Amino acid sequence: MESTLVSLLHGFSVAFEPINLWYAFIGCLIGTLVGVLPGIGPLSGISILLPITFGLNATQAVIMLAGIYYGSQYGGSTTSILMRIPGEASSVMTCVDGYAMAQRGRAGSALCIAAVGSFIAGTFGIVMLTVVAPPLATLALKFGPPEYTALLTLGLIFLAYMSSSSLIRTLLMACTGLMLGMIGIDNMTGHFRYSFDLVELGDGIGIVPVAVGLFGLGEILSTPSKNVTGKVMAPKLRELLPTTQEWREAAMPIARGSVLGFIIGIIPGSAHIISSFLSYALEKKLSKHPEQFGHGAVAGVAGPESANNSASTGAFVPMLALGIPTGPITAVLIGALMVHGVSAGPQLVTEHPDVFWGFVASMYVGNLMLLLLNLPLVGMFVSVLRIPYAYLYPLIIMFCIIGVYEVSHSIVDVWIMLIMGVFGYGLRKFGFDPAPLVLGLVIAPLFEQSLRQSLIMSNGDYLIFFSRPIALGLMLVCIALLAMSALSFFLKRNDWRTKLAVAEAGET
Amino acid sequence: MDRRSFVIGTTASAAALATGSAFAQETYPTRTITIINAFPPGGVNDLVTRPVAASLEQIFKHPVVVDTKAGAGGQIGAQVASAAKPDGYSLLSHNNGISGYAEVDKLFGRAPKTTRADFIPLARLVADPVVVLVNDQQPYKTLKEFVDDAKKKPDTIVYSSGGLYGATHIPVVLFEKAVGGLKLRHLPTNGGGPAITSVLGNNAQLTVQTVSASLSHVKSGKLRALAILADQRSKALPDVPTMKELGYDLEYYLWVGLFAPKGTPANIVSTLVDAIGKAANTDQFKTAITNIGLDVGYQNAADFAKFWEIDAKRSDEAVLAIGKQG
Amino acid sequence: MTLRTDHVAGAAFVGFGLLIIALSGDLPAGRLSMPGSGFLPMLVAGLTIVLGIALFLRARESEPFASIDWQDLTHAGPVILVTAGAIAAYTVLGFIITMVLLMLVVLIGVERRRIVHAAIYGIGVVILTYVIFAIFLKSPLPLSPFGF
Repeated sequence: MESTLVSLLHGFSVAFEPINLWYAFIGCLIGTLVGVLPGIGPLSGISILLPITFGLNATQAVIMLAGIYYGSQYGGSTTSILMRIPGEASSVMTCVDGYAMAQRGRAGSALCIAAVGSFIAGTFGIVMLTVVAPPLATLALKFGPPEYTALLTLGLIFLAYMSSSSLIRTLLMACTGLMLGMIGIDNMTGHFRYSFDLVELGDGIGIVPVAVGLFGLGEILSTPSKNVTGKVMAPKLRELLPTTQEWREAAMPIARGSVLGFIIGIIPGSAHIISSFLSYALEKKLSKHPEQFGHGAVAGVAGPESANNSASTGAFVPMLALGIPTGPITAVLIGALMVHGVSAGPQLVTEHPDVFWGFVASMYVGNLMLLLLNLPLVGMFVSVLRIPYAYLYPLIIMFCIIGVYEVSHSIVDVWIMLIMGVFGYGLRKFGFDPAPLVLGLVIAPLFEQSLRQSLIMSNGDYLIFFSRPIALGLMLVCIALLAMSALSFFLKRNDWRTKLAVAEAGET
Repeated sequence: MDRRSFVIGTTASAAALATGSAFAQETYPTRTITIINAFPPGGVNDLVTRPVAASLEQIFKHPVVVDTKAGAGGQIGAQVASAAKPDGYSLLSHNNGISGYAEVDKLFGRAPKTTRADFIPLARLVADPVVVLVNDQQPYKTLKEFVDDAKKKPDTIVYSSGGLYGATHIPVVLFEKAVGGLKLRHLPTNGGGPAITSVLGNNAQLTVQTVSASLSHVKSGKLRALAILADQRSKALPDVPTMKELGYDLEYYLWVGLFAPKGTPANIVSTLVDAIGKAANTDQFKTAITNIGLDVGYQNAADFAKFWEIDAKRSDEAVLAIGKQG
Repeated sequence: MTLRTDHVAGAAFVGFGLLIIALSGDLPAGRLSMPGSGFLPMLVAGLTIVLGIALFLRARESEPFASIDWQDLTHAGPVILVTAGAIAAYTVLGFIITMVLLMLVVLIGVERRRIVHAAIYGIGVVILTYVIFAIFLKSPLPLSPFGF
């Protein structure tokens, strides 16, 4: 512990060198820009700027690239809240309640809560990274396909809490998402599924085109400008800050989101995508007022945003401690280190303490920088809403197209976005909520692969899900949740769903 | 346009003016050359292609940009490049993957989107031999111990690969064939990183990965290298015997090469081959490759064509041996 | 019996599920212990059909189909068409031309704003966006054959 402190202090001495501070700042600034501009997500941002870092040394390169990564997680919520465009999968849930808050004139408050939540979660993640990285990383390796399957089963059960529409509607949306998620090459057998001979569909349908279409474009299609004229959504200056009541509502979700996100973040693989979805479902399950979710619940912004940021920090644990990438972004970071002859791995701490501790310390600094950078920007961002809607929505369409195109420079993706926009417009007419569809799309390829991998490992024996401690634990939670809902169904207790139905029936 | 390419642009147009337009054909290149990279940023292909592009830029005095078209295991990039105008301004950076697509498509009764005949090999840049790795929870200290034990319990030991029919799946299948009577169970994952992770976590027991990808784990003792599929021992892993020493005639490398689309004029191809040869010999390129833990494995167009043919034959054999899965 | 929204939606989902099963063609289903590439798609498609039928049967709780307000189609229709045009033109005409046209068509054609205002705003935001992407993010947006 003491040696950790000494090393960390050494790290701070590296991080506080003016040149390193400068690169951390540049990274955070570009990250914020990348995050705020819809669609151009952290991966494309880092990939584009990777060649620039070849001229720097390893420490500066990784400080700057990591700054872009976590900086973009801060900025990612902005367009979700203001325009309902999710820049990436992890901000889909923010679109729901963040945008609803914006429509109630609480855009500034939502942005502030997202920024502060991100700061707390990010800092929590780094403290955990500093203190417990190596043992946790070894534990994370135990998370193989069976554990993944169990975690995703839990995610599927949580689907039921995702939406305020009826269970049948929620499940239908999830099934649609699951089916969309199965498009593309089947990794296990090499079959092309439902790809209609389009190579672009080989890797499946991207989450960004679907989410931007369903949420961003779908919203525009169902909102004619004559319906919004005269309605001012932009708040006054003193209304920008959250009220004491809102802070109180946000506190616990931020704390829970930080812990949940970090745990999911350290799992090698792509599990971190579902951290914000799980946090949303968890908050809704724990909330005293679940009926507020979807209509601008503060917890629905605070929880997922914190979970998302904490998970992105957690993803550094296996990368730094074991040298294994947890996703495409950490893979690029490892590549950036390799270019400088530094190999990420168990020896990183001992062979390159300057890089390791300088990097860790720079994340503390970077998170503070981001908070100081983002809070003053809230006022500026909110003033976007002062643009009359007739002028704003063509701008949003433009950003939807750029954003989706820039992800992989594929025009097919942009067509998918348009189709999904029209589909989203149709869904609204019939009272369907698109959020479960996106979660289904996210889960489908992961769930299918891990299920089939597990069965390969066990040679077709389903007991594998109950014979490994972590998988067993998660499965027991699943069973308990199912049993609880079955029980409450049979007891016909008036749960929030029926209350909501009664309330809605009363309105009409 | 940034200032540097502006300056380059003006000098180039000045040069073009001086030589006169009658010689325009001989002055290739006259504008930006694009190298399509079929694999995502941060991967080996990306890390090899960028320095070669930088060196080529200095030789050609024209910008050489890397355009990433990743996806579907490199098939998207290959298809984009094969459809590009064969004028020498669109090149392709690809790896072993380019050999197998047609054979896999045939297996599934699909019309192949690209075949090897769609590309002219220009140069091989690196060739990273693969190593047979087991995790530290396995008792095997030598390849022989492993083979003997694995033969006793067929279809029990699980090996992970970066993907079905992929460059880390094929060598295992070739190994199974070479040994004879060896049957391992295949766990496909989606990439080299996840394949190593699953062996580290003992969700699989064996994997075959490149030297550069596995070196840090071998050094830390988490993975044990049993054999290397190269013609000689690796400098980084001098204690690991080659397959030849152990009695198996097996070599397999993960290589990165540059290609031009079919139909590129011969004079442009030879200009490119010369220039890439020079670029691969620059200190700048060598340093960049050494830094990422690789050796320059440059082969000129003729040698590379020969190598590619042998390599592709191996790959076809392995794909047929794997066959169509469930 | 009145046609209700859930009758239509339920039928659509049943149709969707059937379509997926029809498209699955030769995908091997495999066994429960070793699912093939057609296994989960079939399972989910089957579930979709069942849920679609359930929705159809419970349709009495939903609004009559005729009550859906389609008035905003006069807004959605043109916007869909303009967006489709912009997507088709995006990689051909490049970012600047396409997006300026998109802005002008929407602002003048659909929203009936004043031409001068629309032109200043449209050209302004497009150029600004282009500059941000090209200079600060070093990722130039698609160009037209004319070089801008």
